Amino acid sequence: MNLAKLRITSATTRRKLEGSLFIAPWAIGFLVFVAFPLAYSLYMSFQQVRITATGINTTPVGLLYYREILFADGGLLYDDLVPFLREAVLMIPIILIFSLLTAILLNVRFGGRMIFRVIFFLPVIFASGQIIQEFIAQGEGQLIILQGSQLERILSDYVPRSWGEPLRSILGSFVLVLWSSGVQILIFLAGRQTIPASVYEAARIDGADPWSTFWKITLPGLSPFLLLNLIYTVVDLFTFPSNPIISKVTTENYGVSSALAWIYFMIVLLFLGLALLLYRRASRSMGIGAIR
Amino acid sequence: MDKSTTLAKSNIPQSAVKKRSLRALLAGSPARLKLRLMGVEADKGLLFRVFLYLLLIDVAFIYLKPVLYMVTTMVKDARDLLDPAVIWVPSGFYGGHLAEAYKALNYAASFTVSLSVAGLVSLFQVVSCAIAGYAFARLDFPFKKLAFGALIFTFVMPPQVTILPSILLFKELDWINTFLPMVVPALFGHGLKGALFVIIFRQFFSTLPKELEEAGRIDGAGAFRMFYRVMLPISRPAVLVVFLFSFVWTWNDSYFPSMYMFGAENVPLSVGLAKLNAMLSAESEAGGLRFFVEPLKMAASFLIILPLLVLYAFTQRWFVEGVERTGIVE
Repeated sequence: MNLAKLRITSATTRRKLEGSLFIAPWAIGFLVFVAFPLAYSLYMSFQQVRITATGINTTPVGLLYYREILFADGGLLYDDLVPFLREAVLMIPIILIFSLLTAILLNVRFGGRMIFRVIFFLPVIFASGQIIQEFIAQGEGQLIILQGSQLERILSDYVPRSWGEPLRSILGSFVLVLWSSGVQILIFLAGRQTIPASVYEAARIDGADPWSTFWKITLPGLSPFLLLNLIYTVVDLFTFPSNPIISKVTTENYGVSSALAWIYFMIVLLFLGLALLLYRRASRSMGIGAIR
Repeated sequence: MDKSTTLAKSNIPQSAVKKRSLRALLAGSPARLKLRLMGVEADKGLLFRVFLYLLLIDVAFIYLKPVLYMVTTMVKDARDLLDPAVIWVPSGFYGGHLAEAYKALNYAASFTVSLSVAGLVSLFQVVSCAIAGYAFARLDFPFKKLAFGALIFTFVMPPQVTILPSILLFKELDWINTFLPMVVPALFGHGLKGALFVIIFRQFFSTLPKELEEAGRIDGAGAFRMFYRVMLPISRPAVLVVFLFSFVWTWNDSYFPSMYMFGAENVPLSVGLAKLNAMLSAESEAGGLRFFVEPLKMAASFLIILPLLVLYAFTQRWFVEGVERTGIVE
């Protein structure tokens, strides 16, 4: 019995050893390329950093930079952050709904589906790069329908300015919203495959109509993917290099930049937490997620 | 129910419903009619089909239009550009803008840099992220929960938080202005979106049946043999998806190269475009003589994404199908 026990423990240690070997490269990478820079940037955010020929000189300044950014000078953070957050709040639901609907459409069997899928995956290729900036810059971001409509006037008349402005800028670059939902469409499409056809079959036999089938089967089945897409969209939107706050993290002033990056990171986390909370509330009240 | 039937009826004569199917439709009882039109699931009815095509073609047009604009603009010559009647179809092919963009981007050298960076990064990330993903999905190791938390943390963290210390670190190592700062982290399963790829692999491996490993274990295979002989061969869809994502994103990324390679002689194409833009705007501020900035930019953009389009054309078949089978999540 003792021997058997010994064999079991040696088997588990062997398993653990193998597991450790597999994770070792990633863990080392994490320590060197993530944990160390992270700790160092936190340290730098409390320091005045001067890069000289001989090395790096730091003088502790305490919370000075944080105070400066948060309270003294609004130019660095708030001027860009507030409109950006408003835009994000509007953009995230639009991206999610659009990609959900598109994925459902692309899942239907119809002639030429392959061609459409190829086209709809194009954003994955373009959207991460500078090319997309070019497209927006030359006005290709606008929907043509909106140019002739009265929408601008209606917006300026009936929506408060602080929200009308981001709303207009979203409508102005609505195509950008479509372009940044490439990966989300992929995820939903992959997720749709996990709902077995037999469930739909059963619903049909029970005489469920399409409307309730969507709400009772498709949407709850996709809710884990909705959550994943929510996280992905928030992360993607907030780490996009052309994002106004991120472009202010420069090598000019290490201390201020580090403090700004950390404040921004906290805002991202806060926003993500808030989004998750809202998601949970919404899914509970709608009864989504009950199935899984 | 009644309401939706009348709704369906009133919609029958709508344009795209064909005559033949119309007769077939009218033959049935109202209930069957409704079933035909609306379908069982939200996606099987005829009305839905019409709507589907309209919507898909619309959105597909939105996606294709900038590409078409790019391609047609860059081959227009001066006469076409000034002629308001010429919008989509140029009267001839003019290669001047392409040649100019080719020279401005320093294409041959930049292409080599881009290709080697994107190729190496994607290759390394596929291997290292697969290994890490496998460990997260199937193996046991100390502090696994903590490590997984670290993985999620890495995924959520904006790279800008660590960029400055990273620059200092790579400066210490004398890697600045080479492409090592992009490539070496990839070797460890980090780098651009590395955490996401680990998560994708983790999800993929955890969907595979447990029996696979049990059979291998009975045969006395260790984790390494299991991984290379059993797991890796069947994970081709995941490998393809990660490879393509990694290649495309690294190719397009201009943030890391502009931070790490600002003083390098040969920069990746993505940075080349930013430099070209800066040059053009500086020129126009100085009252330069350049008439047609747009076609030049479009030509440069085209040259940059051309390799990606070629790659995508070759892999899209497996890619589109692979995505379905990856079960990217869960």
